[in-house]
Amino acid sequence: MHSPLHYLLLGLTALLRNRLQTALAMLGVTVGVGALVASLALGRGAQESIKDQLLAAGANMIVVTAGNYATQKTQGTEPAADHARFTPPVDPLQFIARLAAARRDLLARGYAAHNIDAALRAGAGLPVSAVASTGRLQRVHFEDDPMAEHDHPTAKERLGDSMAGLGAAATLTLDDAVAIREQIPGVQFAASGVHENARIAVDGDPTRQWFTRMHGTESRLPDIRRGWVFPFGEFLTERQVADAEQVMVLGRFAADKLFGAGANPVGKRVILWNQPFEVVGVVGSTSWAQQPAAGDDQFDALYIPVTTVHRLLNLSKLNTITVTTASAGDTTRIAGEITALLRQRHGIGEAMADDFTVRTQAQEMLGKGLSPELARIVGGNLATMEQLTIEQLSTSLQRANRTMLALLAGVATVSLLVGGIGVMNLLLLSVTQRTREVGLRMALGARRRDIARQFVSEAVVLCLVGGVLGAGFGVLAANGLEEFFQWSTAVSPLSAVLAIAVAAALGVLSGVYPASRAAQLDPIGALQHE
Amino acid sequence: MPVISLQNLKKVYKLGDNTVNALRGVSLDIEEGEFVAITGPSGSGKSTMMHILGCLDRPTEGHYLLNGNDVSNLSRDELADIRNRQIGFVFQGFNLLPRTTAAENVEVPLLYSRPVLPASERRARALEALRAMGLTDRAFHHPSQLSGGQQQRVAIARALVNRPTLILADEPTGNLDTATSIEVMRLLQELREKQKITIVLITHEPDIAAYGTRIIAVRDGIIISDKPNVPRRVSDEPEALPLAAVG
Repeated sequence: MHSPLHYLLLGLTALLRNRLQTALAMLGVTVGVGALVASLALGRGAQESIKDQLLAAGANMIVVTAGNYATQKTQGTEPAADHARFTPPVDPLQFIARLAAARRDLLARGYAAHNIDAALRAGAGLPVSAVASTGRLQRVHFEDDPMAEHDHPTAKERLGDSMAGLGAAATLTLDDAVAIREQIPGVQFAASGVHENARIAVDGDPTRQWFTRMHGTESRLPDIRRGWVFPFGEFLTERQVADAEQVMVLGRFAADKLFGAGANPVGKRVILWNQPFEVVGVVGSTSWAQQPAAGDDQFDALYIPVTTVHRLLNLSKLNTITVTTASAGDTTRIAGEITALLRQRHGIGEAMADDFTVRTQAQEMLGKGLSPELARIVGGNLATMEQLTIEQLSTSLQRANRTMLALLAGVATVSLLVGGIGVMNLLLLSVTQRTREVGLRMALGARRRDIARQFVSEAVVLCLVGGVLGAGFGVLAANGLEEFFQWSTAVSPLSAVLAIAVAAALGVLSGVYPASRAAQLDPIGALQHE
Repeated sequence: MPVISLQNLKKVYKLGDNTVNALRGVSLDIEEGEFVAITGPSGSGKSTMMHILGCLDRPTEGHYLLNGNDVSNLSRDELADIRNRQIGFVFQGFNLLPRTTAAENVEVPLLYSRPVLPASERRARALEALRAMGLTDRAFHHPSQLSGGQQQRVAIARALVNRPTLILADEPTGNLDTATSIEVMRLLQELREKQKITIVLITHEPDIAAYGTRIIAVRDGIIISDKPNVPRRVSDEPEALPLAAVG
């Protein structure tokens, strides 16, 4: 055995003899290896994209909402347990009677009729049919309509308000958020939130207005909401929140509606509640699964400091506290600890229901995109389904991804096979052309394996060069797919190494047959070959 | 001990239903330092003899002892080793690799000798063999840049590079003009006289055979005459040219 360099030079010298044929055979290998690298990059890209989407969807997110959806609960801390089974709808007549009673009650307390109706319609964000079918009408507080004139009961007065609808009760405070953040291990971030519907207009041009979702929040929200990107400006700063400044981050959709598509509104002023707010940023989505759309609550929305909301509206309540856990597997445990902590902080006795609702993102996701009927059934069975959801979702996505990957790998394999046939063809030509040389080398003492090695190394050199080129083209192709078709790809150095190894193996495989033909030549006949 | 000892050597080829008796019982001893010219018309069996002597082919019957070892029944790869270490070939068509320098051509037999020689050692021995042939300044020329005589001298350097005991020259002057042929024959004579290398020359030209110390005539697969010869000297040639002018 000589050094690999010896065989490399031997192979190269031989290949330079038939340049055109060599180039064509090499092209075949290049295409095959390129297809392999590109498909590996696509597969990996899909894998990472799935992971990103899952994280963007908030696999590690817990949302604590004021009020308790499961009103009649008397024992225990898991609101979902109340829905462990599907509950048949109540009698519609009974529902209408309760609705009327609630309306009378609110009128008696001096609230304006149109506000009550709007609030009842809004319910807990559920369609009336869904409210009806749950059979539970929530008492709704008109302070959820900031456009109305009202006085503001403090959170303390409202504590224990377990009959309130989801998000409508005023049971959560900023201190609750601080306590969750500081007292529960494994909590990564906790952001307070007040959410209202709000009408906003461009300062100086009241005709440019939009009705959207207002989120009073804290500076850490972008850490919780993965998949956010800021095309203009940045998110609220800690300072702006601490000082309750009148600054605003617009969702991409809302910004486009106010200022025109793609415009940069940073530095402009927007009027909310007759107050000027300076736009400091625009938030968009990095995720193909979540493009900004009307009513999406994230990008058809505006974000201002929660402290500013409290100051301007003279509030102290929170609608939600959004929590992320350091590890996605921890959400169930931490949800339990949050429940215990808040029950203790709110002084809720053993026999009393929670005045808040803790939901993990898994529960949210299951409900999303389902018809209300289906969502209710799913929600009712969440206790058992929760532990499966994220894993199952990711498993089924990955299964789909594997199918696609298998298809691509199949294409790559066929290309490689065709490339290998091309190389074999060239080698057979080479053996025929060089029969005399083979005979000479045999006469001078080459053994059969020496001859075989020579031709195999020729094939390997050819395939290696083709493989390196193919790896390069594969990377380019992957980048092109990402650039022009927005497919997510990820080229790993390992896949390039693998591709080149595959090319070398292809060289050996396609070289073996021509090489053995050469090695079996009869030296006398070969020497006399013309 | 003779370098070559053939004992009742027979070779039968089967061509379809016909059998061709190329050699029909050849017995022959060649001693070290002999310069044997084997002559005969085409179809006489001299090429077959050459192939068997060169360990490129095996006899159908009989024995071939090379340096005392019976090589009649060795495997292909064992024969390749014998060719590599003990036999130097000089062919009619030179058989140099194209687009390959003279030095690289001379190195080819060293590539297949074991243990493997380091590249620097191979190169040194190739250059040494080329120097002995007076081709030092042509070592890095390609065959296409060399004259016929120079090409044949490169081929002789290649035959000598592995220090064989036997040189087999198959019509070495067939492609050369008279002056160059004489020069090549003078080189072969020198090898025999200075290095005691045994030379077997196959030719159909009587005046080339005349350079040998012994002339064997073959016809129809048997030896018809085997006579010692007073070798013709290059200096006998009236048209002999000085070496420098031959090139």
